[in-house]
Amino acid sequence: MSAVAQAKQRLRDRAEHHLRLAAMEELRRRYPAGTSPAYHEHGALLWRRAFVPLYRRVPWEHKVRVMHALGMTAERAGWTTPSRRPGEPWRPPV
Amino acid sequence: MSERVVVIGGGGAGTAASTVAKRLKPSLRVTVFTEFEDIAYSPCGIPFVHGGEIPRFEDLFLSTVDRYVADGLDMRMETVVTDIDLDRGLITARNEHEGFDQLVICTGFTWEKPDVPGANLEGLHYVKNIRRAMEFDRLLDTVRTVAVIGASPLGVEMAGNLGRRGLDVSFVDEGSWVLGEVLDPDVAQPVHDSLQEHGVTLRLGTRVEAFLGDDHVRAVATSDGEIPCDVAIICLRKMANTALAQAAGLEVGTTGGLIVDERMRTKVDGVYAAGDVIEVPHGLTMLPIRGLTGSHAYAQGRTAAANIAGVDRVYDPVWIPWGLVAGDYVIGGFSVGETLAAAMGIPYVLATGVGVSRARYYPGARKTHVKLLAEPGSLRLIGGQIHGGEGVKERCDFLAFAAKRGATLEDLAWMENIYSPPIGALFEPIAIAAQNALADLAAATREPAQPARAVPA
Repeated sequence: MSAVAQAKQRLRDRAEHHLRLAAMEELRRRYPAGTSPAYHEHGALLWRRAFVPLYRRVPWEHKVRVMHALGMTAERAGWTTPSRRPGEPWRPPV
Repeated sequence: MSERVVVIGGGGAGTAASTVAKRLKPSLRVTVFTEFEDIAYSPCGIPFVHGGEIPRFEDLFLSTVDRYVADGLDMRMETVVTDIDLDRGLITARNEHEGFDQLVICTGFTWEKPDVPGANLEGLHYVKNIRRAMEFDRLLDTVRTVAVIGASPLGVEMAGNLGRRGLDVSFVDEGSWVLGEVLDPDVAQPVHDSLQEHGVTLRLGTRVEAFLGDDHVRAVATSDGEIPCDVAIICLRKMANTALAQAAGLEVGTTGGLIVDERMRTKVDGVYAAGDVIEVPHGLTMLPIRGLTGSHAYAQGRTAAANIAGVDRVYDPVWIPWGLVAGDYVIGGFSVGETLAAAMGIPYVLATGVGVSRARYYPGARKTHVKLLAEPGSLRLIGGQIHGGEGVKERCDFLAFAAKRGATLEDLAWMENIYSPPIGALFEPIAIAAQNALADLAAATREPAQPARAVPA
């Protein structure tokens, strides 16, 4: 794997990890029964104190546009975005 | 001369790709390479043999090598492919070259190995190969304490089944609740209760720091102290087995899986990939994901096979219906739950309801809890989780399909359902949840007369 591909993979892995941890804390407050505090690794302050709050401030529709613009979604690899308009009849793939 | 197809990997995707390609185009010469001695068995059933629900490992075999040979496949068992030369159209196995016109890479996954001291000790077990599972099952008859590391779906199944077997199970995970990657905490709570009823000790919020022992593991050192164990079962993440493909120059994506298009084609003409080794898009976000189920691998193998045989077939982005039995408790879902939606920052409207799995007067009726997530505004389905009585799997399959087709809470609120006392109640739990959400939304916007909150049957 190229260094760039490895870096992208690592970046995504870390970002998802810290976003998920933050979400778990939020959901724990909503549904506390039967849960425990998640393990938090020491450090990672940049992720927890900067990335996660910044990510959460950006509205979802902006995030979607950025993900598409940066080529993070599968259209780049040749996938067709599915049409999900209610009431539209299913058409066989061409 | 017949077109030559080489399939690397004999799991779900590999067997599907090879058998379906041959069936669709009998003139193909299809050769399957697998490093293992067995084929066509269900590794997903292994935990249930360990737990005694399925009597024998032999029951997990669905077909035989002879059957594939009789169907016209060239089967190369216990044969490791060591190199792929895409320029020359050759693979190398046992120091011999084999030419191909079309190649399908179905090399699957390996379990993530803990990156801590002692990870090479004897007594650390990974669940995948049926022969290793048979040996491990004999070992389980001689031990008392087991540490299950990683509250993944496999971890939950192993912990619950080994608890049922009467072993002393410690279930270790860094998360706040089990299945933290897919499950919401309100659904996790009855799972925890069921596992604990089966004698499983939950050690959540706990990081593994080392495996202790001389040659063989005797304990796990954690952030919360030492946990003695006779064996440890590692159930962390599934890592795509891409080394061979990467060495050949194929591209890997941000999930670690091979990049393919919707026809399972890589960027190289005539080279396909399918199954746990690839990444595919999530239907809601189109972000690539991987690590799905055997049914996904099989369908992807079929897609590759169809395109190899000249039948144009497209694989849809996935909505991931999932489900499992945790202890004795059935849970399931599709797409995202609240935790994942919150992590990604996806806004949602919540629809919750409780129904029953049969007519409430019928013996065996159990509560069925439904939680749906919908897009604000359009109210199109985006995810959900269901738990409780019978029908969890069928509901999750249905909802994943409905979400794919753009169904809304309105569609679900007025869906038709079977009413037959032994198998279905008057009010469908999915419809109850949807009606509740519509009523709440109407009340919040002070709309004139709208349906009242549904009364559970």
